[in-house]
Amino acid sequence: MLRDITLGQYYPVDSAIHRLDPRVKLFGTMIFLISLFITDNFIGYIPAIAFLITVIALSKVPFKYMVKGMRAILFLLLFSVICNLFMARGDVVFSFWKLSITKQGIKTAGFMAIRLSFLVIGSSIMTLTTTPNHLTDGLEKGLSFMKIFKVPVHDIAMMMSIALRFIPILVEETDKIMKAQMARGADFESGNIVKKVKSLIPLLVPLFVSAFRRANDLAMAMEARGYRGGDGRTKMKPLKYHANDAAAYLVIFVYLGAIIAVRVIF
Amino acid sequence: MKIIPHFFGVRKMEIVKTENLTFEYIRRDENDNVEGITTAVDNVSIDVKQGEFIAILGHNGSGKSTLAKHLNAILFPTEGTVWVNGLDTKDLDNLWTVRNTAGMVFQNPDNQIIGQIVEEDVGFGPENMGVPTKEIWERVEESLKVVGMYEYRKSSPNRLSGGQKQRVSIAGVLAMHPKCIVLDEPTAMLDPIGRKEVIDAVRGLNDVEKITIILITHNMDEIVHADRVFVMDKGHIEMEGTPREIFSQVERLKELRLCVPQVTEIAYELKKRGLPIPAGILTIDELTEALKKCR
Repeated sequence: MLRDITLGQYYPVDSAIHRLDPRVKLFGTMIFLISLFITDNFIGYIPAIAFLITVIALSKVPFKYMVKGMRAILFLLLFSVICNLFMARGDVVFSFWKLSITKQGIKTAGFMAIRLSFLVIGSSIMTLTTTPNHLTDGLEKGLSFMKIFKVPVHDIAMMMSIALRFIPILVEETDKIMKAQMARGADFESGNIVKKVKSLIPLLVPLFVSAFRRANDLAMAMEARGYRGGDGRTKMKPLKYHANDAAAYLVIFVYLGAIIAVRVIF
Repeated sequence: MKIIPHFFGVRKMEIVKTENLTFEYIRRDENDNVEGITTAVDNVSIDVKQGEFIAILGHNGSGKSTLAKHLNAILFPTEGTVWVNGLDTKDLDNLWTVRNTAGMVFQNPDNQIIGQIVEEDVGFGPENMGVPTKEIWERVEESLKVVGMYEYRKSSPNRLSGGQKQRVSIAGVLAMHPKCIVLDEPTAMLDPIGRKEVIDAVRGLNDVEKITIILITHNMDEIVHADRVFVMDKGHIEMEGTPREIFSQVERLKELRLCVPQVTEIAYELKKRGLPIPAGILTIDELTEALKKCR
């Protein structure tokens, strides 16, 4: 079971969005996130909603998968909405005890709710439609301009993909160590939170030791196979733009234009 | 016209050669003072010719893995010299050529697979060498076919058995088109089926692809097919010869804390008890033949 874990909850179907170059998706997500903060009135969210619905429909990922991601931030969402609701000053609509709700408060709280939920849905579309591998490739190629600022883009991408490769192995190992410690009488379940955290020590120490040993072995294996960083390296699966990617860029720019137009006009 | 004697044409080219190779692990305490020196490899001189199947045998701590790491320029000799395909491994300009010439397969299959998909892992070596994309694909396909893992090319390595993972590792080295492959206890963590898969694949590389194989192992059954065997103990080469020559010295092997294959052991015990059986029996068929003659 543990072997099947994939990070970023990739949803494997074949769709127009899945087939897009990861760079396009990264760029599109970024533009979408920025657009949410450009908008300062409710009409501005009409193009955003239209854009989101189109992408969701094209991606063939069931809507409930997107909403799943929302559950994790539900608390954050409620917290920020309530804070905004009561904190803002202005025309009082309703008040009790020392708290009062104002018109401005309702407005900011509404914005906050829309922004946050769109933000989560927008970015989960990217992770749902892109394999982790593709994502790191996209990051490496898409951010390669950062090399002029001495950012080691290739190295970071390589670290990410190695981390992804080792997550299932380390999860399996954790499971093994846990069982071994339980067989010798370790108790991971009972007690208060302090006791529970303390009981993790006999799990974490061997896990760290083994992770370092693996890292050492892997580094040696990589060197033995001639790895010496990103310079002079070719790609087995190089990223190439296709016609649909160009079309997607066009759509993204049209969307950005629409958002700016709405902001200027209204 | 003077005819110049042409030595190198007559003799097969040496792919790996070590001369008086010595390697010391230096242990230091917190203040960087030398606490102790362990000589892992002590004055070893071997030469391996192109196309040979060499086995290096020894129990734990005999220095065989340390020796192996010198052949791929992961470790550098404290004293003496190692040449791979005529290149001195100590010379840093040769480093990458040496690593591409002598590929290395390690013990733990999980810790040497880099890619998240089998084919991507096999492509890792050629990518590092700067091979053009189209050729990488050709090499990956060809290497996976050689080790019989082609149908798994789209799988995740985590879903494969130990023997399959180790064959992927071998394919990964093979895709770099090395002249020589050094395998450092490739079967130590595998079950008997996995062991057989890996050893069969390695023999195939030697027989069909004519790649020089240096197999490091402590499993006696795996060296039967080797052309030459080196037995190491305490950093020295203690014995050298064909498997038959090595296995005919059962007493000596036992002194070195190595056990011979079951069938050789039985033959040896029978011979000791007076049956006219030749020394150095390697296979069950040989023993049955010898026993038939006894009647």
